[in-house]
Amino acid sequence: MSPLEFVAALFATSLAAGGAGAVLGLGGGILLIPILTLFYGVDLHYAMGASIVSVIATSSGAAAAYLRTSLSNIRIGLFLALATVAGALVGAALAGVVPTRALQLLLGLALAYSTVATLRQLRLELPEVGEADPLAMRFGLEGSYYDAALDRDVKYRATRVRLGFAAMFGAGLLSGLLGIGSGAFKVLAMDHFMRLPMKVSTATSNFMIGITSAASAGVYFSRGDIHPLLAAPVAVGVLVGAAGGTRLMSRLRNTTVRKIFLPVLGWLAVSMILRGLGIGLP
Amino acid sequence: MSAPSPVERLVARVLLWGGLLSVSLILAGLVFYAIAGHPNAREIVRVVHNRDVGRSVDVFASLGDVRRALAQRPPDPLAITALGLVCLLATPAVGVAAALVAFWRAGDRLYAGISAGVLGMLVLGFALAAGG
Repeated sequence: MSPLEFVAALFATSLAAGGAGAVLGLGGGILLIPILTLFYGVDLHYAMGASIVSVIATSSGAAAAYLRTSLSNIRIGLFLALATVAGALVGAALAGVVPTRALQLLLGLALAYSTVATLRQLRLELPEVGEADPLAMRFGLEGSYYDAALDRDVKYRATRVRLGFAAMFGAGLLSGLLGIGSGAFKVLAMDHFMRLPMKVSTATSNFMIGITSAASAGVYFSRGDIHPLLAAPVAVGVLVGAAGGTRLMSRLRNTTVRKIFLPVLGWLAVSMILRGLGIGLP
Repeated sequence: MSAPSPVERLVARVLLWGGLLSVSLILAGLVFYAIAGHPNAREIVRVVHNRDVGRSVDVFASLGDVRRALAQRPPDPLAITALGLVCLLATPAVGVAAALVAFWRAGDRLYAGISAGVLGMLVLGFALAAGG
């Protein structure tokens, strides 16, 4: 493949990754790293550097649009970012101390359970507004958005805030320990534990993943893992793709987003269990 | 229909313009690189595929590296791209800083404090990364 073809192919792949990431609240790392290493033969360190760029590009491209339509909840995002960023810093400090494989296996099993739980509520369009959680009231963790697919305003309020906050700390810890964006865990925590509408969960995750990844971006840059010729087409492709994904998302139902999210969750569960068992994956 | 708050509008604007500025610099660097006859392109692609064959001269590992490459005459086109990537990596932190200012202006001390807490941890993360 010539350098020009290489850059063009990367751009096209990143366009798709950005679109998917914007809808699902993921940075695309779980999709992009295997594609870059397996199909394009890119060195793993550079693939991880490109993945961090992809996460931040998805977040910037998607969150800008979601904040304007109130689909991203900035208060919920910043409140939970306290937990994820703290978790990421602790995780980075513990990297090399904690037995990573055992952690991956546990995590994979938890994700497999979450996959089944998501399957059970596949047809749930909107969660019922639960009892007032004192912390949700104190921190204003509620909001409303206009749902174009349902053609009405949707009101929501977070529940089980402590549990969601703890899960977010865990998601940040994993980011720091394993070098992953952990967008899927953020979406799960908001969807399952805090019972936010699926679209609010993925849109708010989009806002948060950029902040969490920014905490570790400096490490990747100073290690020289962010290669301009690789990261440039990824950044531009993902930004353009994410802008397209946000337009698509406004027309999707919550149940559709959950259906698209499910196989990604299943893939993540399998890959984590395999890594935990020592079966190599990129 | 739910209208975005002033805080949401400001942060959305920062993220949008941060992204656009970054993309402009990244693309400008790539265009200049192509005009310059994409020097060492095959060598760079070889390094991208296998980091162990030797570190590419076009990898920038600090702001100093980027600044020096920009100060060359003519400037290294990939340094312009690297500057765009740095802008992109900094955009979320600038977004949080904008939220801090907007919440403070709106008199929401609770969320100004939460934003400051997040920003403080991000700065700590950058400092730890810089310290090795």
